[in-house]
Amino acid sequence: MRRPLLLSCALLLAAAPLAAQQQDTARPPGIRLTTRYDVATRTAIAVRPFSAPPAIAAVADSITTILQRDLEYSGRYNVLPVPGSLLSGRVDYRQWNALNVVYLVTGAVSATASGYELALTVHDVVYGRVRDEQTLRLPAATSGEFRLAVHAASDDIVRSTLSAPGIAATRIAFTRKNPRSEGGIYTYDVLVVDADGFNLRRIGGASGQIYSPAWSPDGSRLLYAVNTGGGWRLVERELAGGQVRTIDVGSSMVTTPTYAPDGSRIAFAAWRENNWELFEYNIAENCCLRRLTSDRADDISPSYARDGSRIAFMSSRVGGMPHIFVMPAQGGAALAISPYVHGQRGYYTSPDLSPTGSEVAFHGHWNSRGTYQIMLADAGRPGGQVRQITSEGANEDPSWAPDGRHLVYTHAGVRGSEPGLYVIDTATGSRRPLATGSAGMRLADWSPPLLRAAQLR
Amino acid sequence: MLHRAALCLLIAALPLAACSRRQPPAEATPEIATRDTAAERRDRERLEQMRRDSIAAADRAAREAAEREITARATSVLEEMVFFDYDISELRPDAQTALGRKVPILRANPNLRLEIAGHADERGSLEYNLALGMRRAQSVKDYLAGFGIDAARLTITSYGEDRPLDEGSGEDAWARNRRAEFVITAGGSPLTLPGS
Repeated sequence: MRRPLLLSCALLLAAAPLAAQQQDTARPPGIRLTTRYDVATRTAIAVRPFSAPPAIAAVADSITTILQRDLEYSGRYNVLPVPGSLLSGRVDYRQWNALNVVYLVTGAVSATASGYELALTVHDVVYGRVRDEQTLRLPAATSGEFRLAVHAASDDIVRSTLSAPGIAATRIAFTRKNPRSEGGIYTYDVLVVDADGFNLRRIGGASGQIYSPAWSPDGSRLLYAVNTGGGWRLVERELAGGQVRTIDVGSSMVTTPTYAPDGSRIAFAAWRENNWELFEYNIAENCCLRRLTSDRADDISPSYARDGSRIAFMSSRVGGMPHIFVMPAQGGAALAISPYVHGQRGYYTSPDLSPTGSEVAFHGHWNSRGTYQIMLADAGRPGGQVRQITSEGANEDPSWAPDGRHLVYTHAGVRGSEPGLYVIDTATGSRRPLATGSAGMRLADWSPPLLRAAQLR
Repeated sequence: MLHRAALCLLIAALPLAACSRRQPPAEATPEIATRDTAAERRDRERLEQMRRDSIAAADRAAREAAEREITARATSVLEEMVFFDYDISELRPDAQTALGRKVPILRANPNLRLEIAGHADERGSLEYNLALGMRRAQSVKDYLAGFGIDAARLTITSYGEDRPLDEGSGEDAWARNRRAEFVITAGGSPLTLPGS
């Protein structure tokens, strides 16, 4: 399906009216157009190397490369190579059309006092016209935000060509358990990496455990659980300034925090009355602790739906084994969505609700002999079908990208693949390593979009 | 002989406790003049004080050694780990036996406080294993509290799967890693054993 939707529609016009009529006999006879969107469709796109004065040719090259890779990683395009004869000059749509290119990206980079200007043009080759044109200000290439700005340009191409959310201008936060020191001490780091796997950096650490980092909905803060001895507490870190504060929720045993979509409230698990229960707390006003669950089993790992109406979480309330449940965000009747088969020791944990729909990603195994794999279930249909999307090695702790299509997860490593964090496209099943080389990298959380092209105009 | 008799009289006048323990060694008798001068008396008193001090020091050392021995024995009983079955927080019979040995020590040392830390093996999710470790620590605490030990003396925590006793993979390593560990947080030095 390299040809554009338009062409498919034209064919439908000519050949499909009969079929359409048969499907919908209640409508008056005539021509009806339908479009079928296949998520696995990859639209052909080409990025022509951006032009630039010789002094900044290297910068232009890297911008081109970053953009091409971003578009590839979006999973939505077939990024075609640019033939040598079309590397520069006036854009001739017939020539690009002959290469089956649907969208073409061209651009010019120039130096400014504070960085660069990228004049970016998106061409609709099929229609033979410019689809989008804008000039973006990029910071200096030495700036930590340079790549993020290019990623934002990429996301804007996804938006303008496919009206879909891009995920290039996002980051993934995770923790790393470092190898034991000679003194027998384990140290832990919090790290952040760009969605394309570049720009990996440590933003904090502790000589004790750090678990479950979570991005604030505006992308400015991280919340995580820390145990430096004597129990677990919640810590919130401002990413820009590095300020850290402990959130006192009146318990010395608090884990698996997450933000509600409005960013003012958080949910977490705390040890209360001899088991783990879910709570909500208002961090904007430091008040209003509210208990969300009340049972004798363990309830941990809450994850909010994008509209804040529901929470997915893990509970051991059925047969003492961990299962995935969904309940109203204020608490109440919880419905199991992971498969329960009596007599089988199924084990399902670490749910994450999709930011765009109602799919819950989690990991688990069907019986006690299986390895842990990433699975998807519909939060709106308890007892519905569960889709297993990984099968090689052990895979754990999935987190959705803001496009609701990609997941980051921990891969324990098998023959031919290194342990670390990987990204999978749930629409196509294709995978890529994000950050590898250490078995201690884990508990990844994917950020919301961190920068938009509109902020660079 | 006269000197010796005089010395004996002197010793008899000393506090009974010191005299009753040991006869003074014969070679300690100095070859001194027969006259009982003030200087001689001072010398004798000084010598006697030294002997008493050394006896007291020996007693103290023996007492402390015994105390250390008892404390070490009690500590090793208190710190003895207990182990769990896979994904289970209920106590096995061997764990109950090991915990039963801690009870008299906890009773005999009312100022003693313990931290109970639950651990899990590497299988399963990090977050769930953290939860499971806490449940294991709670099982231990409940069991000890069932013997009348004040629950306020027992704090609990969990490290999940992050602090393996055995870094290996496989059932042997896992079995050693599913455990509760004990740390004496207060009142651990010295300890007494019941009946000692």
